[in-house]
Amino acid sequence: MTPVNFGIDLGTTNSLIAKYENGNLVIFKNPIGHKETLASVVAFRNDRILVGDKAREYLLKDAVNVFGSFKRRMGTDERFYVVNIDENITPIELSAYVLKELKQFVHTGEKPQAAVITIPASFDTMQSNATKQAGKQAGFQEVFLLQEPIAASLAYFNNKQESDDHNGHWLVYDLGGGTFDIALVKIADGEMKVIDHEGNNFLGGVDFDLMILEQLVVPEIVAQTGIQDFEEQLTTAYGKYEKLYYQLLYKAEELKKELSGQAYAELDFAATIEGKEYDFLITITQEQFNQVIAKRVQETITMLQAVLDRNHLTTADIKQLVLVGGSTFIPYVQEQLTAYSGITINKNIDPTTAVAVGAAYYAANKYYESSANASDEGVVNVDELLEDLEQEVNLEMKASELEIILSYSKMSKEQEEVLLLKVNGDYLNYRYRITRKDGGYDTGFIKLRSKFTEFLPLLPGVNNEFSLRIFDEEHNEMKSLMQEISIVQGQYNISGQPLPRDICIEVDDKENNTTKLELVFEKNSVLPLKKTLYREISKTISKGSEEKIIINILEGDRYARPLSNLTIGCIEISGKDLKSDLVKGSDIELQLLMSDDRELSTEVFLVMTQQEFKNVFSIAAKQVSLIRLKEQFEDLEVEIRRTIKSFNYEDNDVWAMQANQLLEDLLDHKKDLYKLKDNDKSDKKYVIAEAVHRTAQAYDKIGGNERLEYLHAEYLSAKEYVELQLPMADYEKDKMVTKFQQILNGESQLLRTRNPSILLKTIERLNQLAWDILYNTNSYLMVRYEQIKSSDASYFKNYGAAQSLFKMADKALENEKFFEFRQHVYNLTHFLKQEQGIQRSTDFKGTGIG
Amino acid sequence: MEQIIQIINQISEINQKLIQENVLPKFERILNRLFSIFEEEGYICTMPLGEKYNDARTDCTANVVGKEGKNMIITQVIKPIIYKKANGTITLLQKGIVMVENI
Repeated sequence: MTPVNFGIDLGTTNSLIAKYENGNLVIFKNPIGHKETLASVVAFRNDRILVGDKAREYLLKDAVNVFGSFKRRMGTDERFYVVNIDENITPIELSAYVLKELKQFVHTGEKPQAAVITIPASFDTMQSNATKQAGKQAGFQEVFLLQEPIAASLAYFNNKQESDDHNGHWLVYDLGGGTFDIALVKIADGEMKVIDHEGNNFLGGVDFDLMILEQLVVPEIVAQTGIQDFEEQLTTAYGKYEKLYYQLLYKAEELKKELSGQAYAELDFAATIEGKEYDFLITITQEQFNQVIAKRVQETITMLQAVLDRNHLTTADIKQLVLVGGSTFIPYVQEQLTAYSGITINKNIDPTTAVAVGAAYYAANKYYESSANASDEGVVNVDELLEDLEQEVNLEMKASELEIILSYSKMSKEQEEVLLLKVNGDYLNYRYRITRKDGGYDTGFIKLRSKFTEFLPLLPGVNNEFSLRIFDEEHNEMKSLMQEISIVQGQYNISGQPLPRDICIEVDDKENNTTKLELVFEKNSVLPLKKTLYREISKTISKGSEEKIIINILEGDRYARPLSNLTIGCIEISGKDLKSDLVKGSDIELQLLMSDDRELSTEVFLVMTQQEFKNVFSIAAKQVSLIRLKEQFEDLEVEIRRTIKSFNYEDNDVWAMQANQLLEDLLDHKKDLYKLKDNDKSDKKYVIAEAVHRTAQAYDKIGGNERLEYLHAEYLSAKEYVELQLPMADYEKDKMVTKFQQILNGESQLLRTRNPSILLKTIERLNQLAWDILYNTNSYLMVRYEQIKSSDASYFKNYGAAQSLFKMADKALENEKFFEFRQHVYNLTHFLKQEQGIQRSTDFKGTGIG
Repeated sequence: MEQIIQIINQISEINQKLIQENVLPKFERILNRLFSIFEEEGYICTMPLGEKYNDARTDCTANVVGKEGKNMIITQVIKPIIYKKANGTITLLQKGIVMVENI
């Protein structure tokens, strides 16, 4: 025997499916729109069948083809005539459509073969059998029915403490979107039974929305406009205020939700009424709302009382009051129920899913004989197994007779892409359905034809994934015919040329006193391209000063150093161009546009001064900023010198020689560069820029991958050391953890860089952090102190002053004043003579863009 | 996540209001910046105003104004469509609430 596990709330307005297995409860969500509920509505549109929320949209507009609330007609011989298909359809068939759609929610790959389906307490035998039949039509091998109040009670039951005594009378108060039901449940020794019920099929949340509109909003509009018959005009079908009516109805529903959590809410809308424009701001209090719905809520309490009276019970006899349905979220409903019954309402279960949850709990303890499994006695139900197998084989046979040929472009620049479908074989009575995986597109079930097209809407800049599925006349999916369709929007297309290299902008890297590249357009993106970047100004520029913001747009590899890339656009905005001072931290907006023929246009907007600078660059003309060039030159020189030093230290003669040669080449241009003036008209700066560019590229290539790998290893070892030491720090640990995290944040980019300089600078930062950690660790400080103390007097700049610090440090140590001791060790390090390394100028100017 | 959606909805409403009042150009930069920040966080917000509509569009909940026709267009957006992009996949977070008319 197999547990059923699946529970279905087949509601009048909405339906849900849930599963309970091994203590795990799952309420499945609609893959289209990711909602837990499915509107119980079926629409037979011109060529397609829609089930759910989309179908509901046409309920009023296309009443002859769209059907909802058919649950009320279950068990009757009523048939709905569908104009579009010229056929009659039964409530059972409509319910089966909903159940089949719910089966699609199950994303776990399981194929539910049995389910517990809930029915209202009022359902008679005919109605119950009809529901069972709908379940069978939907492909369930076995269907168990459960009354909704019992399901809700079970959900509540399972949420309570084991020790609680459940025996007694329970009331299940179900106020949903459109219907109201009250049921009296008797629980005795674990057995639950609905002993009486009462209901109103036209009382629910939708009525409350309408009441807000009619009784609170319309009078305000009438008062402001003076149009007495406005309500009549507003509610006239296809009238002139139809759009406003839908808008207000939606806003009324939102307002109702807001009023569940706050004392008042505002309804804000603009409308043109009788040719005059109005701006409405209507404030509605919770009290006003309560007054409006009071009468309808009282009706529910009257029905509750009637049920109790009929059964000779009083509210004191009621053990629990279980709430079901979204409208029970309304505080006034809960207050009135509490005031009337004196029962404190338990809010532990979600009233919108309670029935489905209870059905799933019940299903977990309900067993059926699956045709796929042997029974408890080890006997296989051969008939059922054969029947099931036959169905599978039939489906596969049918599928093998069909051939679906798809034709579409896998890459597109358009907003929609045409899909051509050719079907070979006997396709009559089969349907297809195409859905987009993000949930924004669903064709519904459409009849197959021999040859046809579908226009698939594409989301911009992403891989749009669609599924094409084929169904037989009973909506059983023929799984072997399923096809996935992937269309990348915005990349590679015959009509648009791809970008050959990355386009980046140079921004400041203040941590390392250098600049870095930030990607604007990725290599292979299809032209034309447009992007707006938002950055902060990283230095203050006074009005009238010579200081500049430099916007360098480069083409090349985003992981390389800026200097190795080709500058294709350069904008310099100096203090002389400014209307007022530009303060550090103020915003800058950069809009870059690259046309089909790779012409670069930029728009720079300085938010603080409200100035706009527009430029157009031709890719053929080189762009060089002299200030940046000088700084880049200096940066490169310092770096090569440092590298030579480290190569020498590592006895890496070959690399050291190569670096020395590059340094010499670079220095050949130094004199000329520093002689150049801003207004130089010659092409010298281009010549020098070219030389610096070439040297930078050659320098990055020294040692090739071997050097990069070596630096990666060095980075990882420095990281490991910090990781090891950090937990031992006694002071400023949080600050150092944050700093470490900041370094690690850039790790993925760092390990992809081809720029040794970035790696070197990060290693340097890690090493610096490691020193900071040591100087904040008592055990290290003690060792270091002993080293300093035992050093020869010649190692000190001022040995006398150091000696008095020794005394103070010894005293602090003796009294275990470690924090004070740390300060003395810090001070002592300043008295030590240290080697002076090669120092780069700290007057880093950069681009001015952070 | 729910709160971010609420914020995006409110900003979209401000956007609509500014269009109504004909003062959008004064605030356009700020709004574009806000939407750009949301996009960096993976929230893609679209206002489908003027776009074609048919019943396969499950990215919107539509209110059909007037009679249905062959050329249905979105003529009013009450709530924008919001997608979430994460790890290369995109998911519909909020359906747009729209009015559609046959134009």
